[in-house]
Amino acid sequence: MRKILAVFFIGVFGYYMLAILMDFPFGIDHLNPGLAGAYLKDTVSKTGAVNVVTSIIVNYRGFDTLGEVTVLFLAATGMSALLYDGKTMNRSRQNASVIVKAGSRLLFPLIIILGAYVFIHGHLTPGGGFQGGAIIASGFLLMFISYRNYHVSHRILSNVESTAGSVFVVLGLLGLLYGATFLENIMPLGIPNKLFSGGLIPLIYIAVGFKVGAELTALLDTMLKTVK
Amino acid sequence: MYQILEYAGMVVTTIGVIFLFLGGLGVLRMPDVYTRMQAGTKATTLGAVGAIVGVGMMHPEWFFKTSIIALFILLSNPISSHALARGSYKIGIKVWQKKKIDAYEDALKKVKKEEEAV
Repeated sequence: MRKILAVFFIGVFGYYMLAILMDFPFGIDHLNPGLAGAYLKDTVSKTGAVNVVTSIIVNYRGFDTLGEVTVLFLAATGMSALLYDGKTMNRSRQNASVIVKAGSRLLFPLIIILGAYVFIHGHLTPGGGFQGGAIIASGFLLMFISYRNYHVSHRILSNVESTAGSVFVVLGLLGLLYGATFLENIMPLGIPNKLFSGGLIPLIYIAVGFKVGAELTALLDTMLKTVK
Repeated sequence: MYQILEYAGMVVTTIGVIFLFLGGLGVLRMPDVYTRMQAGTKATTLGAVGAIVGVGMMHPEWFFKTSIIALFILLSNPISSHALARGSYKIGIKVWQKKKIDAYEDALKKVKKEEEAV
């Protein structure tokens, strides 16, 4: 009975999905007139970035992204303050096998390169500072879970984090100095689809990538150290 | 030349997709954790590599990138499934009822005996 109901439900759902998607014109411009259409149409000429999502996040509402970065920073600080005990802690005693250790040594640089690629090419391909930073932190997580004594210096991490955050704010202030508003794009837009295009967008995303990567790595290190 | 490569790529991709389907079927049908893991890893590694390399053969200008992705899958997929299987063995998940051979248990016993002898 349940199976019949499930098949029936899938059939009805699929029929309506098909009926909706049948009416959509495929590959036609101005699919959505109004605000979304305007963004799609003007983004490349106005911001120089071919990735519309990135141009909206970093350019049109860059101030909001600064707020998001601050929220992440506060979350990391609060979590460290809660978990800090005044004593040096270690990771759990379970040891990873030889295969995992050797494999993670091979994969770690590849993952770091992929993360750097994702945030450097944020204005050209899907992804950006937050995603690239998360990929870098996942590379460090791989090392943490395979090597019990793998050590990262929290002083270096917090230095990287604060430098990257300051770079973001300074880039915004430069807009105020040489332009009219905070976070205004003061650099040449360049040729679309090239690496050096999009004005301030790649610089801001590189800073965000470093910041998010350092923050999440410190957070994971703090959370994994549970044994005294 | 490109025509031949394109057809060869289609064939390789189809083989990969068939293996991916068999892997999914195995995850649904196999009786315990280890056999499911085997179906979900061996078959999907071959399937993903086949599909990706096939796409690289259809578009020769992508072949370098796709072979890097395939290499990454070949490295990471077996390692992760090895770690998962070892972890589930260590926390004591039982092998399916028709247990006849448990090579890992024998190996662990052998290591223990050697340690005791030393």
